[in-house]
Amino acid sequence: MEGSSDAVIVGRVLRGDVEAFRGLVERYRDRYSRYAFHMLGNREDAEEALQDAFTRAYRSLVRCEDPERFGAWLFRILVNRCRTLGARRGRRSRTFVSDEVALLGASQEHPAEQTAWREEIDRALQRLRAEQREAFLLKYVEDLGYDEMSQLTGVGVSALKMRVMRACDRLRELLSEVHNARR
Amino acid sequence: MRGDDDMRMRNIARHLHGPVPVSSSVDDRVMAAVRGMPRHRFGFWSRLTTPRTVTVTPLSWGLLAASLVVFAGIGVVREYQVLDVAAKPIASALFHQPPRLVHARPVQFVLVAPGAKKVAVAGDFNGWDPTHAAYQAKQRGGGVWSVTAPVPPGHHRYSFVVDDSVWVADPTAPRVMDNDYGMPNSAIVVEDDK
Repeated sequence: MEGSSDAVIVGRVLRGDVEAFRGLVERYRDRYSRYAFHMLGNREDAEEALQDAFTRAYRSLVRCEDPERFGAWLFRILVNRCRTLGARRGRRSRTFVSDEVALLGASQEHPAEQTAWREEIDRALQRLRAEQREAFLLKYVEDLGYDEMSQLTGVGVSALKMRVMRACDRLRELLSEVHNARR
Repeated sequence: MRGDDDMRMRNIARHLHGPVPVSSSVDDRVMAAVRGMPRHRFGFWSRLTTPRTVTVTPLSWGLLAASLVVFAGIGVVREYQVLDVAAKPIASALFHQPPRLVHARPVQFVLVAPGAKKVAVAGDFNGWDPTHAAYQAKQRGGGVWSVTAPVPPGHHRYSFVVDDSVWVADPTAPRVMDNDYGMPNSAIVVEDDK
C-alpha cells in the first residue's frame, strides 16, 4: 500500500475496499496536521478538522475528479473544515500546545530561545483575523502561489494579496512589541 | 512588499515549517467512521475481481458437480415453458432505458462562457460525472453553450464544469453553496408530468 499511488488506492476504495482508505489517511495525516494546527491553534481542534476532512472525503470520493491529485482535493476540504470549525469556536479562547512533540521543527541551536520565539509566533498568529491567518499560512508555510491559493479558497488573487499584506503588517507589529518588551 | 520584508516573513514562517504530528488514533477514528458509511457502489465488482484463497476438498467438488447436473436437468425440462417469460425482462433490460430515467424530463442548461473550450453539466442526477455523454454542452455561437438532457423529477443540485476543471454555478438558478468542497452548486426542481 505504501508504494501505491493515490489513484490506485482511490480506485480500490471506490470498488468497495474500505480498508484501503487507511493508506490515504496514513499518507496525509501528518502532512496536513501542520496547517490545521496553526490555523486552529490547538491539537484537539486540528485532529477534529482532520477527522472531518477524511470522512467527508471518503463519503464524496466519487466526486474526486483527479484521483492522482487526491491530496490537493483533500487539502481543499481541510481548508474549508478549518474555516467552519474556526468560525464555530472563534469566541473560545485559544490554547497553545508547547510540548516537545509540537516543537520538533524548532531549531536546536538555542532550544530555549527558539521555543520561546516559536510560542510568540504562534500566539501572534492566533491574534490575526482568520482570513489573514489562512492567507499567511497558505503563502508562507504551505508555499503556495497566489493562483493555487485562489483555486483552493475561491477568493480572488488581489484580495488574497491584500490579506497576506495585512497579515504580514500585523505580525510584524505584534512581534515587534514582543521584541521591544524583551529588551 | 519589499524584498527585505518578504525575507523577514519567510524567516518567521520558517519556525512554523516543522511537522506537527497528531495522534495516530485519528486513523482509527476515521476508519471506524468510514466503516459505518455505505460502501462505494463498485463493491460487488471488487469482490469479484479481488484475488482470494479458496479451499477445495474432493467432497465439495462432488457436491458442485451434482448441483450442476441437477440445475442443467431442470433447465432442459423447463426451457420451452419459460423461454417466453424469461426473454421479456431480458429484452427489456437490454433495449429499454433504465427505470430511473423513464420519467426523466428534458431540461435545457445554458451557460455563457466565451473563453471556454468545453462545458459539461454535473449533478446528482448523473452521479456528478462531468464526462457523462448526455450532459456535454455544445457551443451555440456568441459564447453560449447549451445542452438539453434528461433529469428525473425532484429536487436536484448541479453545476457547470468548464474545461474539465472549473466548477461554475448556473447564474440563472438559485445558488446552493457546498461548503465542504468549495464548489458553487445550483438548485433545480423538476416537476413530475403526471
